[in-house]
Amino acid sequence: MDWECCWTNEEIEPGKCPYITEDEKELCTSLKQRLLDKCLECPKFKNDLKKLSETDSPAAAAIQHLSEEYLHQKEQLHYLAGFLNSRNREIQFLHEIGVVLQTSMELDEILSVAMTAITAGKGFGMNRAFLLLTDKERIKLKGYIGVGPRSYQEAWQIWEDIGRNDISLKEMAKNFYDTKLSSEKVKFQDILEQLVIPLDDRNHIINRTMLKGKPLLVEDSFHNIDVDPALARILGVDTFLILPLVSRNRCIGVIIADNFITHKSITTLDMESMETLAFPVAYAIERASLYERLQEDLVKLTEANNKLKEQQQLIVKMEKMALVGKITSSIAHSIRNPLMIIGGFARSLQRNLAPDDPKREYIDSIVLEARQLEDTLTEVLGYADSLHPATDMWDLNQLVINVCKEFQDKLAKAGINLSLNLGPDLPMVLIDYKQIAYCIRKIIANTIEAIPEGGAIRIKTFPETDCIVLEIQDTIPTITMTAKDFMTSAEFTTQEQISALGVSLCKMILEKHSQSFRAEKAPEGGMKYIIRLSLQKEEISRE
Amino acid sequence: MNKILVVDDESSIRLLYKDELTEEGYAVATAATAREAAEKLYAEEFDLIVLDIKLKNESGLDLLQKIVKERHNLPVILCTAFSCYKDDFSAWLADGYVVKSSDLQELKDEIKKVLVKKTQRSMMKQV
Repeated sequence: MDWECCWTNEEIEPGKCPYITEDEKELCTSLKQRLLDKCLECPKFKNDLKKLSETDSPAAAAIQHLSEEYLHQKEQLHYLAGFLNSRNREIQFLHEIGVVLQTSMELDEILSVAMTAITAGKGFGMNRAFLLLTDKERIKLKGYIGVGPRSYQEAWQIWEDIGRNDISLKEMAKNFYDTKLSSEKVKFQDILEQLVIPLDDRNHIINRTMLKGKPLLVEDSFHNIDVDPALARILGVDTFLILPLVSRNRCIGVIIADNFITHKSITTLDMESMETLAFPVAYAIERASLYERLQEDLVKLTEANNKLKEQQQLIVKMEKMALVGKITSSIAHSIRNPLMIIGGFARSLQRNLAPDDPKREYIDSIVLEARQLEDTLTEVLGYADSLHPATDMWDLNQLVINVCKEFQDKLAKAGINLSLNLGPDLPMVLIDYKQIAYCIRKIIANTIEAIPEGGAIRIKTFPETDCIVLEIQDTIPTITMTAKDFMTSAEFTTQEQISALGVSLCKMILEKHSQSFRAEKAPEGGMKYIIRLSLQKEEISRE
Repeated sequence: MNKILVVDDESSIRLLYKDELTEEGYAVATAATAREAAEKLYAEEFDLIVLDIKLKNESGLDLLQKIVKERHNLPVILCTAFSCYKDDFSAWLADGYVVKSSDLQELKDEIKKVLVKKTQRSMMKQV
């Protein structure tokens, strides 16, 4: 019988079988191998089997069955080898990215690894991928990053580069993170801006997929009634994959992947493989977000802690000041009573002595010295009072009225006109009543001493954007020493400068307390003292 | 003649006030403690009280509150070594506030002013 195939020859000449390539020359000398690898699939062999079956040989049917079964098994084996190969690659690849995902705390680094894994040929080999993340308020999903080529030309360029530099997936992700991340964000800016999906839109295919927590392969997107036409138009592809990122039952976001350039079909196997990636990615993203939030909270806490320390130091300082104030006040008090008795009785004696009495000079001296000591004590006590912190919300107008009442008699005696122009409905200000009252008292007292009879003092209060202004203006024609002290930096150097001491304390209090304090010569004559008291935010809003 | 009760724990100050105010034409009685003051107020009528804030173990401000409660027509002038009580709400109940000084002129002026007001008030009542 003439056989068409070469299966009966132990050896054949190279080139005799058209199915044996140049690289498979060893098959020409090995019948067994040639039979299994080539002949069983060769059409000529199939013709030979047909001929054999026509001879009524029982071996023909058996060979036929064996041949078919062998081919079937071979196909199965091939498939399984491919499957195992791909799974092996996948495990290696997942291990590689798993290491990065577990060690990285930075969101962008994690995203670089995830997106490279999806789009790189060594990974899942998708052409393009978009990541959408839920916003902090959990109101919507927003496009965060897109990866992949935008055109065929760019695609070829990328693939050629990758082909030339045989680098691992990890290196590829690192390169991406270092050099491409920001440019990719810009490249897909237009698409990312459009990829905004409200989370309360329960019918949206993306939200539905997120809620189910299972990946979804979307096909025929332009005609699919389940797909929002806007989404299909934005992506511009017929088929795409939605991969939800869920961590501890919380939706972090989704990855949309497609083959925008090659239009290669996406298989269920691809989908399942990518699902295994979704878990560690979602977990890593959530961890990175929490870490980021933790960092922000840490900064806030550090700031708060520093502020607290400052406040604590301030409180300690204030307590020390208050203590100094209490001690000074107590000492001054124990001096004032005996001083008053000495001075008081000296005055009584003074009144009853004849003008030419030789003792008069001594009595006059006692009266004068007692008076001077009392004046110094008044200054010290006034300052000591101001050291007791008594900060609270006060009505500035009421404070001004109370202080002015104290001067009613003195003003009347000196023939000075005091006018008040107080702004209506002023908001309360956070001030130390005693300190501010002390300062206003001091300014008015100094003015009364220097102002000529018939002079005037005008006090005005009015609001400004973030403060309340208090203006005290007099009609003293010349600048007094005290006024000069207010305008410059008054320092008390000698015992005699009691008023300078008061001015110094006054200035110190006002500069510490108010937004600004100024003493200036008024254009219309006289001095003008301007005190700006800051309004707290809540006071402004209350206003 | 107007009768004034001076309440101060310092005997020298009581003496000084008594001398000076008597010279001014007032009838002056003195008390060293709040209790003594209360007894005198119960026993006789006064036109005005000059009250120190820091009495030995008592507060003049407490006594002031009692007086305002029980004798709301009786004027009180606080006379103290401390100027800080001027801003104390409870001190605002008094009709006058004078910081102690060897020159009693301010106190004398305040007494006159308060007594005039008191007379005006009683006249208004009568009308």
